[in-house]
Amino acid sequence: MIRLKDISKWYSNGSAKAHILRHIDIEINEGEFVSIMGPSGSGKSTLLHLMGMIDDPSEGEYFFEGESVFTLKEKQRSELYKKHIGFVFQAYHLIDELTVYENIETPLLYHKISSAERKAMVADILDRFQIVGKKDLFPEQLSGGQQQLVGIARAVITKPKLILADEPTGNLNSKQGEEIMDLFTRLNKEEGVTIIQVTHSEKNASYGSRTINLLDGKIAL
Amino acid sequence: MLRNYIKIALRNLSRHKVYSFINIGGLAVGMAVAILIGLWIWDELSFNKSFKNYDKIAAVWQNQTFNGFKGTQRAVPYVLGDEIKAKYGSDFKYVTMCSWEGEHALSYKDKKLLPRGNFFEPQVTEMLSLTMLKGSRDGLKDPSSILLSASLAKSFFGNEDPMNKVINFQNRFDLKVTGVYQDLPYNSEFTNLKFIIPWKKFIDDQHWEEKETNPWRNNSFICYAQIADNADMEQVSKKIKNVKLNKVTKEDAAFKPEIFLHPMRNWHLYSNFENGVNNGGRITFVWLFGIIGLFVLLLACINFMNLSTARSEKRAKEVGIRKAVGSLRSQLISQFFSESLLVTLFSFVLALVIVQLSLPLFNGIADKKMQILWANPLFWILCITFSLFTGIVSGSYPALYLSSFQPVKVLKGKLRAGRLASIPRKVLVVIQFTVSIVLIIGTAIVFRQIQHAQNRPVGYSREGLIYVPIFSETICSHYNALRDDLLKTGMVTEMAQSSNPSTDLWAVNNGYEWKGMQPGEQGNFGTVAVSHDFGKTIGWQLKEGRDFSRVYPSDTTAMIINEAAASFMHLKNPVGEIVKCDGQPFKVIGVVKDLVMTSPYEPVFRTVFMLNYNWASVFNIKINPDKSTKEALAAIEVVFKKYDPGSPFQFRFIDQEYASKFNDEQRIGKLASIFAVLAIFISCLGLFGLASFMAEQRTKEIGVRKVLGATVFNLWGLLSKDFVLLMVISLVFSTPFAYYFMSQWLQKFQYRMEISWWIFALAGIVAVGIALLTVSYQAIKAALANPVKSLRTE
Ligand SMILES: Nc1ncnc2c1ncn2[C@@H]1O[C@H](COP(=O)(O)OP(=O)(O)OP(=O)(O)O)[C@@H](O)[C@H]1O
Ligand SMILES: [Mg+2]
Repeated sequence: MIRLKDISKWYSNGSAKAHILRHIDIEINEGEFVSIMGPSGSGKSTLLHLMGMIDDPSEGEYFFEGESVFTLKEKQRSELYKKHIGFVFQAYHLIDELTVYENIETPLLYHKISSAERKAMVADILDRFQIVGKKDLFPEQLSGGQQQLVGIARAVITKPKLILADEPTGNLNSKQGEEIMDLFTRLNKEEGVTIIQVTHSEKNASYGSRTINLLDGKIAL
Repeated sequence: MLRNYIKIALRNLSRHKVYSFINIGGLAVGMAVAILIGLWIWDELSFNKSFKNYDKIAAVWQNQTFNGFKGTQRAVPYVLGDEIKAKYGSDFKYVTMCSWEGEHALSYKDKKLLPRGNFFEPQVTEMLSLTMLKGSRDGLKDPSSILLSASLAKSFFGNEDPMNKVINFQNRFDLKVTGVYQDLPYNSEFTNLKFIIPWKKFIDDQHWEEKETNPWRNNSFICYAQIADNADMEQVSKKIKNVKLNKVTKEDAAFKPEIFLHPMRNWHLYSNFENGVNNGGRITFVWLFGIIGLFVLLLACINFMNLSTARSEKRAKEVGIRKAVGSLRSQLISQFFSESLLVTLFSFVLALVIVQLSLPLFNGIADKKMQILWANPLFWILCITFSLFTGIVSGSYPALYLSSFQPVKVLKGKLRAGRLASIPRKVLVVIQFTVSIVLIIGTAIVFRQIQHAQNRPVGYSREGLIYVPIFSETICSHYNALRDDLLKTGMVTEMAQSSNPSTDLWAVNNGYEWKGMQPGEQGNFGTVAVSHDFGKTIGWQLKEGRDFSRVYPSDTTAMIINEAAASFMHLKNPVGEIVKCDGQPFKVIGVVKDLVMTSPYEPVFRTVFMLNYNWASVFNIKINPDKSTKEALAAIEVVFKKYDPGSPFQFRFIDQEYASKFNDEQRIGKLASIFAVLAIFISCLGLFGLASFMAEQRTKEIGVRKVLGATVFNLWGLLSKDFVLLMVISLVFSTPFAYYFMSQWLQKFQYRMEISWWIFALAGIVAVGIALLTVSYQAIKAALANPVKSLRTE
């Protein structure tokens, strides 16, 4: 499903280049549950952004279901993204002006889902994440963990084929963390959703079928 | 989707109330000013357009050359109309002579009124396409007829039928009402024409035909014409050029009279002539206000765009997230455009409300009766085009720019790219303040110039001076008795009659000759007929010689001249010189200091004063300064009623008449100052918003600095410094502009002030002061905030 070929990314700092990712080759098949691990600053988030098509590499090729992503037009890429990918940010990234309910509903709007259906879907997910009581609050009125839950709910509500999650349980207590991992496992097993998560915890990584270790922008074997 | 956009937009607006107020309010004020100015211009441009024959009507004017200068005047000989009809009949549809529109005493039974009206030839009804409510357009064909406007008919007769009622004209003759016409529209030349009497009646009554041995010499009448349907205005005008020249005597031919047509379409806006060439007029104001309106609008737009783009940087994150949850770029574009269009729509509606509410006030200042052109498609097209334009331009930054990036870039906030990003914004602020300062300086100079002219010594005393127009000749024959009675009341210290009030000069005569007159020089002087006591009444100041006196019977052939006349004639010792008027010798017995009788902005015109009891138009009366004006007027009225029971008592205060000479400039000054204040206000709103935005952006920096020991004053300096610099740059830019434009404007006044440097300094201080006040509020607020709180917000 995903194939990264010789991907590199660097920031030029004057004449010096700061390499963040070096010659990454990764292949991930549909239905896999992959964990990415590595020390802080090793480039995990950057790699995930690239796979999620929300950032560009400096070099290399990316095939998503056989299509060369970086040669696609902006519009086609957006369509591809919208159709298949749900992204959970490390920094949550909720829209401050919208309530919890509206934040979760937003991707459905872009998927052109009818209002009645939207209502049902959002109600369902609020229930599943046990945040029904918070639905009319704004992000600034939530704790970090609660915001993270909303971020996850927003990513899974469109039923994507691929979920990219950047430390989805970083701010959750262990029980909540387990629930999220169970949810991911269920999606993976029962609905065949491909899941790629970044995590610092060995325990969470163990939910996955495979672990990719990053070190200084390279895949450590 | 659209509902969602609108919901977000509204929520954004209500979450940032100050910002929304500034943004919507500022744009609305700018739009309102533009609409008001637009209505004003529309009103000016539509002047006289209500006449069906607008394109074909003209006034017949003439140029004459005096001492090498071509002067343009509307006054022509009374035989001109007939001559044109006889010689060029096929080029004209209608030609009508008339007199000067003015107040006349009309009475019906006991009812006496003083409406304005005029004498015309019968075809005027066709030319002006009068709407006859009673009678027909043929009503003037009977020489003893009168047409009344609907409003005047109503004042005379109420609901009675006015037709065939008999109205008396100034105790001189009776006229029969043969028609009632709808009053002419307010923004037209003839709006005050409340009655029309046949021209023939005027000629017969004044015995012009017997009086004038050479009718081509007396230029005291007005002529209007409508050219033939297929004729061309310019060609006809050229054709009739010599119609007068061909008739005048050889001496008068020296003035080179050229008759021409001054088309109706030029009457209102292009009424000035210099050396025989039309050089504009009020059209200057139309341009001036048009430009001011555009500038105010520009200021408001700049604000709106500045603030919107500044704000939208805060929304970069939202753009990133929306993309990350599946928004297409096109969807973001339409979101931001619909948002900014919504805001401009609010502003537009608010602007309409502001215009509607302020129109009465604006009409008062501008002396107009304007209304919003609800039914005019052009109005809506302009307004809506403009709103769309503003909305699209101000929405384009977030819509097109922010949406073009990869989500991660905007999410990481890398777009707040340092100092360079704020440069366009600073340029716009400089433009705003440059315009504002130019307006401040301009307004200050307009008012200084008016003041300068108001302080000009007029050469006589206006205090307690009134004049009473003479409506019937009978009263003149009782001059001495009237004067004695008035003085006896003790309310009046002096009175005299004259051929025009001291605030005007009604006659300029040719045919003066003096010793040392050069060949080619032409003797045309302002001529005022006065009675013995005129000088004492108005308090003129004799420079040499003496005033008229009853002690010298020979004073009937004496004259008093003003300084301008003395210097025009190059007379070293004018007193005692003989000046001939139409061949008759007059002795100069005195020279008076120049009296400002006409425009206070022009040099005083050379004028002679002669004793003549048979040529009187007004009584000048000096009220006793020890008595109350009200009592005095009551006593004066009693005396006047005794000698002229038939006419209503009418008087004017000279100081008010004089003050009215400044009306036009004052009106312009007032309007300009309102616009200048609004321009400053709008610019400050923008500055306030921008300052608050910058303070907000630097909250973290300010917090850290405070923790490190910066004082409130340090922080205030840090935040205000940039803005003061912008003000100084604006001042530097605006000074040459303002200086250039205002020197140009002052050129049109002969009597004008010098532009002094302190006006610029003052404008600079005002602008910097206002800007500092605006910015300081934000700076101090930010500086005083609790650092822990501000650090947490990041
Ligand atoms: N805009 C940038 N310019 C320069 N370097 C950057 C930029 N953004 C990220 N980096 C660098 O890229 C490296 C990788 O960042 P990334 O966020 O991918 O790390 P991470 O592995 O997700 O770390 P963590 O576990 O802390 O989330 C870091 O060393 C960071 O300093
Ligand atoms: Mg990371």
